[in-house]
Amino acid sequence: MHAISPSFCLGKLGRLALILSLVSVLAFTLVSLSPVDPVNAYIGIDRMQISLEQEQRIVKRWGLDRPAPERFAIWAGHALRGDLGQSMIFNEPVTTVIGKRFVTSLWLMASAWLLSGLLGFVLGVTAGTNRNSFADRVIRVYSYTLASTPSFWMGLVLLAVFSVSLGWTPICCATPPGVSPGDATLWQRLHHLILPAATLSLIGVAQIALHTREKTIDAMHSEYALFALAQGESRAGVAWRHAMRNVALPAVTLQFASLGELFGGSVLAEQVFSYPGLGKATVEAGIRGDVPLLLGITLFSAVFVFAGNLIADILYGVLDPRIRIGAEEAR
Amino acid sequence: MHVFTQCRAGRLLLAALAGLLVLGTLASAPALARDTLTLAVKGEPDDGYDPTLGWGRYGNPLFQSTLLKRDENLNIVNDLATARSLSEDGLTWNLTIREDARFSDGSKLTAEDVAYTFNTAAKAGGKVDLINMDKAEATGEYGVRITLKKRDTTFINRLISLGIVPKALHGPGYARRPVGSGPYKMVEWNEGQQMIAEINPHYYGDKPFFKRLVFLFTDEDTSFAAAKAGKVDVVVVPQALAVQTIPGMVLHPVKSVDNRGLMFPCVPDTGQVTDKGAPIGNDVTADPAIRKAIDVAVDRELLVRGVLEGFGRPAYGPCDGLPWDNPENVFKDADPDAARKILADAGWKDTDGDGIVEKDGVKAEFTVIYPADRAIRQYLALAVADMLRPVGIHAVVEGKRSWDEIKHLMHSEVIVFGWGAHDPIEVYQLYSSHHAGEGFNNPGFYKNDKVDEYLDAAVAAENYEASLPLWRKAQWDGTTGSNGLGDAPWVWLVNLEHTYFVSEHLDVGVSQVEPHGHGWPVTANIQKWTWKD
Repeated sequence: MHAISPSFCLGKLGRLALILSLVSVLAFTLVSLSPVDPVNAYIGIDRMQISLEQEQRIVKRWGLDRPAPERFAIWAGHALRGDLGQSMIFNEPVTTVIGKRFVTSLWLMASAWLLSGLLGFVLGVTAGTNRNSFADRVIRVYSYTLASTPSFWMGLVLLAVFSVSLGWTPICCATPPGVSPGDATLWQRLHHLILPAATLSLIGVAQIALHTREKTIDAMHSEYALFALAQGESRAGVAWRHAMRNVALPAVTLQFASLGELFGGSVLAEQVFSYPGLGKATVEAGIRGDVPLLLGITLFSAVFVFAGNLIADILYGVLDPRIRIGAEEAR
Repeated sequence: MHVFTQCRAGRLLLAALAGLLVLGTLASAPALARDTLTLAVKGEPDDGYDPTLGWGRYGNPLFQSTLLKRDENLNIVNDLATARSLSEDGLTWNLTIREDARFSDGSKLTAEDVAYTFNTAAKAGGKVDLINMDKAEATGEYGVRITLKKRDTTFINRLISLGIVPKALHGPGYARRPVGSGPYKMVEWNEGQQMIAEINPHYYGDKPFFKRLVFLFTDEDTSFAAAKAGKVDVVVVPQALAVQTIPGMVLHPVKSVDNRGLMFPCVPDTGQVTDKGAPIGNDVTADPAIRKAIDVAVDRELLVRGVLEGFGRPAYGPCDGLPWDNPENVFKDADPDAARKILADAGWKDTDGDGIVEKDGVKAEFTVIYPADRAIRQYLALAVADMLRPVGIHAVVEGKRSWDEIKHLMHSEVIVFGWGAHDPIEVYQLYSSHHAGEGFNNPGFYKNDKVDEYLDAAVAAENYEASLPLWRKAQWDGTTGSNGLGDAPWVWLVNLEHTYFVSEHLDVGVSQVEPHGHGWPVTANIQKWTWKD
């Protein structure tokens, strides 16, 4: 195993701390500048039955009567102690909301991520090995088309075809109506997961397939590949036995590094399928001006993406000894 | 079969058979009946299910019960209260509550809980405005006294809308796990997805027919698709979708006071601005002749047909058909000749032949502003602008992105607003000059001393019943008022009809005239709903 040395850990932790502080300052500033007046959004249609005095009380309850820097300082002080405050719209601690919602989203993201990774990789290697064949052309057209397809549009199309016209898949939600998540069977959950996960994977496949294809083409022209071919190996044999490792490394890295996009895609997909995960909570928080929740989710997603990149870094070393040795020599 | 019908015996036999069949279906009806009802009517609360923060203001708190309530004709009737009286000076409410009320955990509901609920809601900083309440106290196990700071006949609406919470169980987690004395109790809430409720066995009223309710909190399109797929029994749809059909469901349109109207700045532009720098006044709309001409020129029937697909009714005031509405608000509209005459009599003439009238060098031009994301308001604004062109008034229609932008313009431009509440305080906020320009109250700075007098008198009347004629007089007392015959500070256009599809087997009884904001209010009488085969 490669050494995850103390200095490596400290460096990464320092970087994470820096990222989180920058992200929270930036997010807080953006939210403060947002044209959405949370009090107005909250009162909504009750405008005429709420007097100015009562409005002042609402402002006070949310601590919006203090200047923004002071609010940020208070929030940051609590956040450092692990208390991200109360979500205004869920009436629960932010950490609880994120915890619950993330579990729901995790199912969706994990299945989409695995599917798109594996499928994309296989398609990419296939296309790269048989360059300019019919299969390659089909895969390329598919990838280019999908790479420029917005995920919400894809979701709507799938929804219109499979749920509304054919009635094969549920219209929305994570469980059937009237069944609480605790009582839902595994099949019911999967059934509700199919379309959102398919939406995310179909789109995610494109990037990884195109990337892998390029790398495979390079690998197939490398000296070791030519040598193996000269020894009578079939093209597929060379691809899957020799080129695989060199192609897998960037693919895996890319897959881990794309957690941010996965997160963004899931926000849109969850919106389309009313899938009650973290993505939907993000949109709600944004629309209704739930600042504590929005900041909490922003921090959480930063950690999430950071973790993805960190894993990619470590895997690099595992899959390719040269990087590890290089890093050790540099020290 | 025809062999039978030829002789009397046969007919008798047939009748007997038919009778048996009917009996058979009646006997088997409960077996076929459903005990779970699935609704997609929006209305997921922002703060959870805590009445002290505002849950249940509309229609039905479901998990809690209120001291009083409005029946389907909007008359005020007792619910938890068995007797109520307001002191001579109008400052003290004395209420007696029923002795058989229990919360869903089996504990007794007493006057302590009522007093606690009112005092907590007053301090909570939610959507319950109890600013005029001094304090609530228990005068015995079943007696409650609520003292007001000043006379306020609209306070009775708080007795109607505030659900009572148990003092012993109310705290930070309550909004997510409510316990109350209403017909149903909460089973589970998954925010953004659904809420499941089941019958409260301790409910003192009639046992509801449906044992279990599932409320889906999906957006309009998803709800509609779910209805098409046969997954829901009640769904609220926008008027545009109401013209469609859903197999196995019937359209259930509900009358409402969810109105749309044009707000006019009623003062001229003297360069004044608000403390936030928003300009005040508009030289064109400050002339009552312009507003009255618009009022009679607009063809409201056409707006209902064209914009609302027929799901609505013309609006002549902010509270059409409510107990405090003045029936004399109705007048003949769609009359461009009358509009032209009003303008001409007031000195508005088209001298340069461009089709727009002018007076003292000012053209009859203004901007009508609507929130860009509201289709109905946009279509109304465009249609009205078309109707005004033939009478020589030029309205430019413009959508704005956010309410914050609109707030800045609402003292100087014409705005398409929508209101409508089961509370006459709204009439006060729309027309009284005392709070003009605060929040969204009377943004046009309309001021009529006589109207102010009636409005203040209505709030300070000796009781709710005595306030009703005063609310009506504020709208029109025979010589002056805030309606179209008077100063016309607003031109009311339409009242929407809220459109629901309900299962053809579901009997939802008589729905109340609903307030602004549709969805939840349809559940006001949910304990009376039944399933018929």
